[in-house]
Amino acid sequence: MKSNNLVKIVSTVVGVVIAMFFVVLVVADPSQDIVARSPLLGQPAPAVASETIDGAQFVLERRKGSWVVLNFFNSTCVPCINEHDLLVDFADTEETNPNGAEIYTIINDDSSDAVRGFFNKNGGDWPKVKDDNGAIAVAFGVARVPETWIIDPNGLVRLRITGELSPGLLSEQVNKLRDGFTS
Amino acid sequence: MKTRRSVWLAMFLLVAVLLVFGSTRTGGPQTQQDRIDSLTAVLACPTCSGESVFVSRAVAAESIRAEVARQVSAGLRTDEQILSYIEQRFGGEVLLVPRATGVDALVWALPVAALVFSIFLLYSAFTKWRGNKPESPTSDDEQIVARALNTKTDEQ
Repeated sequence: MKSNNLVKIVSTVVGVVIAMFFVVLVVADPSQDIVARSPLLGQPAPAVASETIDGAQFVLERRKGSWVVLNFFNSTCVPCINEHDLLVDFADTEETNPNGAEIYTIINDDSSDAVRGFFNKNGGDWPKVKDDNGAIAVAFGVARVPETWIIDPNGLVRLRITGELSPGLLSEQVNKLRDGFTS
Repeated sequence: MKTRRSVWLAMFLLVAVLLVFGSTRTGGPQTQQDRIDSLTAVLACPTCSGESVFVSRAVAAESIRAEVARQVSAGLRTDEQILSYIEQRFGGEVLLVPRATGVDALVWALPVAALVFSIFLLYSAFTKWRGNKPESPTSDDEQIVARALNTKTDEQ
């Protein structure tokens, strides 16, 4: 009699737990957000030092005081190609703003010549930073391109966008962060 | 009975000592390549399914391998610090072996708790079964058996 009760209790508990799993599965809203999580959000940006394909030095820390947009890019990646026009428009708009963001392309697993050829053909005169051995990608935890990161004038990582940009998304996010920014 | 218990106790102690020894001993001096290999073997390739950074040839895995090699060569960080660096960038899912702290510790603690609980249940059940000895027959039982035997003899 006693063991029958125990069996009933255990069965009920197991049943309730399984039912809860089903409820979570049914109710959970699969995240469609393009703005992604990262342990780096709100943290100082990783120390990055490299050079551009034109031979200029690039030290991220020296960009403090400006909004910085880093776009991880590969010239053969289709989403990177698709979003390129949006980045060109964004860069043009930011150039007219005295507090405009600086944009940098971080080359991911691609040759300097291929990147130079792509930009000559498709526009975009911002610096393209070499990332030999993927050190910058690892420092930011970038596994797939494209990814776009926003860093504030204090050098803190503020936003990570994974995948292809949608029209207006980058401007909207930068403006939102800029409006709410206090140094 | 007492001897049997002592044997079980001795076996239990031996297993416990071997487990503690096995889990805490170091494998002796390692070359830099050994360190790189052992670290990349416990890191998951972030763009692959079920592959470690050690075996994967994906771009992201090669970048992580290069970063681990760079940090090992620099000699400024311990293995634990290098793993933490990668974890802080890619998140906890990059670790193939969960940590033994926080919620992750449940991965290690729950099986042990389940094992201990199962052993306790088995012990309780065996003890109970051993206590259920057949009762001696009553005089009514004996009469029934005797009647049945007599009937059988008469038929023959």
